Amino acid sequence: MTTKSIPLNATASGKGSYNSDWQQFLVGVALILFTGIAPSLLGNSYWEHTFQLVNIYIAVAVIQNFLFVDAGQKSFGQGAILGLGAYGLAVASGLHGMPLVVGMLAGVGAATAGGLLFALPALRVQGFHLGFVTMSAAIVFPQLLNQFDKLTGGINGISMNMPALLAKPVFGLSWLTIMVTLVPIAALALHYLLRGMPLGRRMRIAAESPEAARSLGIRPGLMRSLAFVIASIGTGICGLLYVPTVSFISPQGFLIDLSFVFFFAVVVGGRGQLLGPIIGIWIIFILPSVFLVKLVEYKPLVYGILTLAVVILFPDGVVGTFETWRRKRNQQGGGEQAFSLGSFTTVLENLPDAPPAADMTPIISVKGATKRFGAVVAIDGVDMEVRPGEVHGLVGANGSGKTSLLNVISGLSRVDGGSYHFCGADVTRLPAADIALRGLGRTFQTPRVFQSLSVWGNLQIGLDARQTEPSADVARLIEDLRKAHGDDSPALLSHGQRRLLEVVRVVMKDPSIVLFDEPAAGLSPQERAAFSSLVHLLSRKLGKAVILVEHDLDLVWGIADRITVLETGRVVAQGVPADLARDPAVQHLFVGGTDA
Amino acid sequence: MITELLPNINDLMTIILRGVAIGSLFTIIAMSFNIVHNAAGIFNFAQGNIFILGGFAAYVLANDAGFGMWALMLILATVVIGVLAAVQGWITLLPLRSSVEQDSWLISTVSVSVIIASGLMLVYGSSGNFVQGPMPRFTLFGVRTPGAFLLAIGAMFAWYVVLRFFLRRTFTGLAISALSQDFDAARAAGIPVRRLQLLAFGISGMIAGSVGFMVAPMISVSPDAGLRYVLNGFVAAVVGGVGNNSGAMIGGPLVGVIAALTTFYLGGAYQDLSSLLVLVVILMFLPQGLFGRASARKV
Repeated sequence: MTTKSIPLNATASGKGSYNSDWQQFLVGVALILFTGIAPSLLGNSYWEHTFQLVNIYIAVAVIQNFLFVDAGQKSFGQGAILGLGAYGLAVASGLHGMPLVVGMLAGVGAATAGGLLFALPALRVQGFHLGFVTMSAAIVFPQLLNQFDKLTGGINGISMNMPALLAKPVFGLSWLTIMVTLVPIAALALHYLLRGMPLGRRMRIAAESPEAARSLGIRPGLMRSLAFVIASIGTGICGLLYVPTVSFISPQGFLIDLSFVFFFAVVVGGRGQLLGPIIGIWIIFILPSVFLVKLVEYKPLVYGILTLAVVILFPDGVVGTFETWRRKRNQQGGGEQAFSLGSFTTVLENLPDAPPAADMTPIISVKGATKRFGAVVAIDGVDMEVRPGEVHGLVGANGSGKTSLLNVISGLSRVDGGSYHFCGADVTRLPAADIALRGLGRTFQTPRVFQSLSVWGNLQIGLDARQTEPSADVARLIEDLRKAHGDDSPALLSHGQRRLLEVVRVVMKDPSIVLFDEPAAGLSPQERAAFSSLVHLLSRKLGKAVILVEHDLDLVWGIADRITVLETGRVVAQGVPADLARDPAVQHLFVGGTDA
Repeated sequence: MITELLPNINDLMTIILRGVAIGSLFTIIAMSFNIVHNAAGIFNFAQGNIFILGGFAAYVLANDAGFGMWALMLILATVVIGVLAAVQGWITLLPLRSSVEQDSWLISTVSVSVIIASGLMLVYGSSGNFVQGPMPRFTLFGVRTPGAFLLAIGAMFAWYVVLRFFLRRTFTGLAISALSQDFDAARAAGIPVRRLQLLAFGISGMIAGSVGFMVAPMISVSPDAGLRYVLNGFVAAVVGGVGNNSGAMIGGPLVGVIAALTTFYLGGAYQDLSSLLVLVVILMFLPQGLFGRASARKV
């Protein structure tokens, strides 16, 4: 194959880029051109026909890869979506003689409608639930085609020829050949481009960590629906091409086995690798078609066993195993200085002090907030206010309700009683993504660092969520970070560095209030000091409000303007650090408490 | 008007009896799902084909056999299929050891399902086979009823009672139940997690295999029938609340009766569609099932 002559990505620096998407894209295009054009050039009509179908399958598998990994939607029913596209066209134009344009719209429309039907349950459930729903749909689809025989021709199928597509404008290539070559390339290009776009990144985050996505203002349900719509339109277009390629469609062509082929191709080739589905189709479809022509009935058994073997032996698939090896060899970043707050704090220090906010209405105002989980009352009638620019410490023993309160404030859970105002507006019933869009950012106890993105990519998703224009200094800083960490591997970061990465991400989002959930856990003394000064600068230089949940009480007392102490879900003390340190209700936290 | 739409009393008896009998098979599949799900957090997509494997065992080993021979072969088939399921469990849990991604089981169980179906297809062809069992037909509420119907319903109750006793009264069963609460805590408490998970797979194979064997006369023993049972079994599990055997006792017959009603009014070809619709409606409006409980979110 052509792997040797691949030019390096123009933006790649040093030892190679973090991902090999661009290289994989080029190899993929080469392979698609090969299966698309070579048979015609050789003039073998049997292989020409077979490989036209192969190329359509490649396009569907590429789209399945996007849906399965980038959007995290485990659909086993893409064969049915392909069938809807094909039947839409064949019924409208083949059976009822409507103009081709109408038929094509009907095909894509039917496929999109099918995709939306998949997306509907995906709004409520994920994982194996969705797998069973889509699989049942793929089983029911051919049954319905048979049943509605007045509309679909039932078991007799529909034959439809498009002689115009067989004309050969260039080099003995028919229009059909050209189209079935271009469509998978377009699908691959779409997948590649989406990954470089904020939309594609949002989908990946929503798939990997819905709560992190919501805290960045992303609605996971919207992302899932969009992914299904994009995938269905693409697969529907493949369905349109399927009709002239086979000239005859019947329910037998769209059994559940077809859906399994696409799904298995993605797994065998390598989940999430751009090139994966193409190699997958080569392994489970092309090679058996060439070498097992006489043993057609063994094909399902062969691809079942191949898939099982791959899952056990190379869980990352063929391309994924190569990619993991390449990444290990080329990985960069790591070490003590892999990621620090240094450059960030330097820039902030040079900024002028933020003017004191003219309007001192609290940015966050929680009144009588109560949250129950069954019989457990996690927070019980909590009142709390945070003003712009204020660093507010939230302390208490484990299980005192700190994280529950943080979840309520970020909107990840809703109060059972009481009210919550954000920037003067009642947001008690608002979803987390909306609150995030109004200017709230947060980190998590376990940092949400995404391995599919480079260190820079992990920061970029914060930037994607930013609603303000960065100042010149910050823009320069951002550019420096891109250069420094564009190809760094997040796998090499220490636990403390991962925390700081998440901290910088949330600052990139430029929220008006930041919630830190135990940010100092696992940080080295130097990192702690850097973190404290960052929080201080955020408040004094950028005028951000901060809520800090932290067990390191020295750190909290050092930087907080006001502190709330929780115990078993209730506020037991509230005030400025100096007063609180003398409060008997608080002192036991320092000495002989359950933790701290 | 409305009365014309209602089936007469005889038809109604047939529908209910048929629905409950078929539905009890769904309950059994659901219970075999539940034990693996509780022990390993895995939904075995191959469960329907394991069930059909039991049917094929009856076709090969005990077609038209006398009761003694039939019972002997039932025990043999149950043990062998139980062992096979445990082996499948071992294979399924292998990649879970190292892989970062947690959904490998989804792929390996689907591929095992395809392997079983295509293997059976190669050996026995794609057509449905009919098995003659030892239970004679009998008349119930004026309806001529295949003996296997009674076996199906009986097996449902029998396995329910056995599982309930096992999971609540034996040390091993309690340990499996503990797994469903908290893996890490169970491991920390010294429970041999992996061994119990394999046992759960084995038991699920014994449940599905034994009943597949017993009810072979009332089902079409064909390689592609497994998918129907795995899906309907899943619907029964979801309706009853995933992991909840008592819920499945209601869920299965409910799904079965809905399927039988669909057949009566619209035709057999719509059975799977009706189950799919039930599944979607339940997932949309009651994702915890009729008898499931809400769990606290963990962030």
